[in-house]
Amino acid sequence: MSMFSIGLSGLNVAQNALNTTSNNISNVYTPGYNREVAQLGQGAVGGGVKVNSIERQFNTYVSSQLNSAKTQSSALATYHNQITQIDNLLADREAGLSPLMQSFFSSLEDLASAPADPAARQGVVGSANTLSAQFRSFDGYLQDMQSNINSQIKDEVFQINNTTEQIAGLNREIALARARSGEAPNSLLNQRDHLVSELNERMDMRLNIQDGKSYNLSLPNGQPLVTGTSAFKLETVQSAADPQRTVVAYRDGEGGVTQLEESAIKGGALGGLMTFRSETLDKTQNQIGQLAVSLSLAFNEQHKQGVDLDGEQGGDFFAVYSPQAFSNTNNSGTAVVESAEFDSDTIDQLRATDYTVRFEDGAPTVTRNDNGATVDDIDWNAGTGALTFGGVALTISGTPNDGDRFEVQPVRRGASGIDVTINELDRIAAGKPANPEDDPADWVATGAGDNRNALALQDLQQKAIVGGSASVSGAYGVIVSDVGNRANIVQVNLDARQGLTDQLEAVQQSESGVNLDEEAANLIRYQRYYQANARVIDTAGAILDTILNLRN
Amino acid sequence: MRISTVTMFEQSTASINRQQSDFLKVSQQIASGRRVVNPSDDPQAASRAVGVDQSRAMNQQFSDARVSARNSLSQTESILNSVSDAVTSAKALLIQASSDTLSDVDRESIASDLKGIYETMLGQANATDGNGRYLFGGYKDNAPPFVKSADGNVEYNGDNNSRQQRVDSSRLMPVAENGATIFQGVPSGAGYIAEASAENLGGVTFKGPQLTDVNAPGYGDSYRVVFSEDAALGSGISYQVQRFSDGAWQEDAADLVASGEYVGDGQQLSFAGLNITLTGSAEPDDEILIARAGSEQRGADLFRTMEAAISVLETPAQSTTEKAALRNTLNTSMRDLDNALDNVLSVRASAGARLNELEVIDAVGSNRKLNYEQTLSDLVDLNYIEAISEYSLRQVGLQAAQKAFVDIKGMSLFDYM
Repeated sequence: MSMFSIGLSGLNVAQNALNTTSNNISNVYTPGYNREVAQLGQGAVGGGVKVNSIERQFNTYVSSQLNSAKTQSSALATYHNQITQIDNLLADREAGLSPLMQSFFSSLEDLASAPADPAARQGVVGSANTLSAQFRSFDGYLQDMQSNINSQIKDEVFQINNTTEQIAGLNREIALARARSGEAPNSLLNQRDHLVSELNERMDMRLNIQDGKSYNLSLPNGQPLVTGTSAFKLETVQSAADPQRTVVAYRDGEGGVTQLEESAIKGGALGGLMTFRSETLDKTQNQIGQLAVSLSLAFNEQHKQGVDLDGEQGGDFFAVYSPQAFSNTNNSGTAVVESAEFDSDTIDQLRATDYTVRFEDGAPTVTRNDNGATVDDIDWNAGTGALTFGGVALTISGTPNDGDRFEVQPVRRGASGIDVTINELDRIAAGKPANPEDDPADWVATGAGDNRNALALQDLQQKAIVGGSASVSGAYGVIVSDVGNRANIVQVNLDARQGLTDQLEAVQQSESGVNLDEEAANLIRYQRYYQANARVIDTAGAILDTILNLRN
Repeated sequence: MRISTVTMFEQSTASINRQQSDFLKVSQQIASGRRVVNPSDDPQAASRAVGVDQSRAMNQQFSDARVSARNSLSQTESILNSVSDAVTSAKALLIQASSDTLSDVDRESIASDLKGIYETMLGQANATDGNGRYLFGGYKDNAPPFVKSADGNVEYNGDNNSRQQRVDSSRLMPVAENGATIFQGVPSGAGYIAEASAENLGGVTFKGPQLTDVNAPGYGDSYRVVFSEDAALGSGISYQVQRFSDGAWQEDAADLVASGEYVGDGQQLSFAGLNITLTGSAEPDDEILIARAGSEQRGADLFRTMEAAISVLETPAQSTTEKAALRNTLNTSMRDLDNALDNVLSVRASAGARLNELEVIDAVGSNRKLNYEQTLSDLVDLNYIEAISEYSLRQVGLQAAQKAFVDIKGMSLFDYM
């Protein structure tokens, strides 16, 4: 081995090392890039140097930790992003529901002061209109969030499918490359790891590395998404229980589609959306609905006990949105819900939750969807198909098979249907009848100045009319406190989790990230190294010249 | 530890972001004056604020109710003041008219004075509030409560209700009086009134009745003295005192309270703790009713009283019968007016008491309002001193983060190559 070849091997290696350094420098800001280091080794026979490998600095252990931290902080960030919208909705104290309820009851006070005064009556109708419009706009806002979540779920699932396909493709290319050269190109490995990391930000996944080469991905419940070079698809479908709800389903190898439990999807943006929807959005919408329904039912009830200016019995003051009931699409029996109404006898049990009615041996079991508790106090008449529970009266016709389910949402859209049905000022029943014992059809007014019913209506603000336990403002306070607390908890969790993620990110970066100062030093180093090797060749030449010049 | 260039930049920007958002949060608090802007800033305080705000709004409602209650009660009070003045001047006119020296013409002129007072009173009884609602109609406040019927007499068309308002969370206060209470009521403990029947033909007049013993048996019931012919007696006229019980006058001999020969000339009858002195000749079937004012047999009605007095003063008093009718009617009317005055004064006193009560509730209410506002402010409002020092602190923090970023950015080995 000559000095020439040794110098040459040095030049080659220096070139390689300079390439690696330049590559590091050029990729300093590339997401998913892992720093490369040229591993030098001694030449096998007769000295010299060689590049053993260009090694990427990647730590599987740290990166899987970082991925699982990311999936959680991404879930919390999505949750936080959504709940902030409700938090902001409730923040406006001047335009929120609370001041409008106050001004509604205050207009009833004006009515009690001057029961026949058209201005006072107009005030009642006007403030009732404003209040119900605000209820509707609250519900509209929350309903918009529901449909946004539906479409966000679709987007996320689309992206997840895209990514899993890419990972399966990369698995193949990497295998091919390995077969060709025995080495996997670092850029493909970086890409694949980066895709896995991105996927984890969308949804929690299990990563299983087969033989240290191929990446297999599966859902937390074990259903595979990527096995080797093939990818399975997630789909978005309408929930079997509630057609207004988009949920995620899994398409297996045989083409069968199974709906995934909402609780099965954890972590990532998708998990954050799911948790937010079932934990906060549904609840808040139900609470607002319960408030609207309770207020209108109680107000109508009291209004009917009075007489208007013409001596007629008071009618419904507010229009009330009836409960919603859906048959599960998987039901095999012929049973359908004919009608769903509020039941005035058990209205005190009206709760801000949805229910699932499940039939077994022809008899229903009712469970609350928010906490899974079974409702004991139900009244079922198999003959007429009348089912009463929690302030709702259902009529079910047809024959249910075992396991048939119905989803009942008593107050979910309750706030969307509240409206003032009184259009003539005379129709407000401010007085009580002179002959309350008689049939309401025969009632006569006591006098235009009678304000007894107006006083009773005004008193409703102090009564526990919401779920039999809270006043309207109390119930509103509960909503504020629920949303506020949850937003607060999510914020705190997010901060904590984000801190952890940042730390792990720093750890990962300390190993895999590029430091420009270091690369600058390397540049200088390898430049010098190159110059030195060139000098070796130069020296070898000079030596050779010396020998050749001896004869001269 | 190795630090990657990306980490350096990201940490710097993350730190600037954090400082910036903290800084903005404080600026937002300062701009809005609120410590709790979103419910999540302090969920407990935010939800308590909803409750306190509702209490404050209700307190405000009651305070509004008190304004209209006070308005209506003070109108009532001032009108009742004029009514009591009117009753007093009517009484003075009646005393003047009782003088025996007056001629028919004199009495007629008094009658026309009295008529003026009567019309004034009618106007006041039909007074309206600022909104054109009649104050004294009970719930029927959309039509004049006192109207003249075809025969010229005033009838009450209102009802016996009085409108109430919630002036405090646990106080429903009557804020209007109805016409029946004011003009057809008697004060509690009103005494007996004697009234000669309008059909009397004789010249019997009465003095009294005087109360001697409230504990006497039969005190409180209604009685009447009925005269009848009895040839067996020297005067040829007997009297019977009949009691009203079980829905009818007890005329059977066994049930009579007293009876005997009527001689006239200051004869005093005593029964049931009462004395009444009768003078003048009586004709058979003449009657004198002796009953408590406001009882079923002898209701009170200020307008009726005035009408009776006016009518008797307008009638010339020539015959014995007419003179007796004049004397008896004036006698009865004066007692009625005394009762009416007492009644109006007591209604007015009760309105005045309620006005005083409103003052007290007002004081409590405005105290409460201050309390609620203080609580609300403690819950959600900003402590400016803390906030401003926080503001400066955050400003320094943000500037420091920015400075650090610039410094880190400026430090690179490449600069020295």
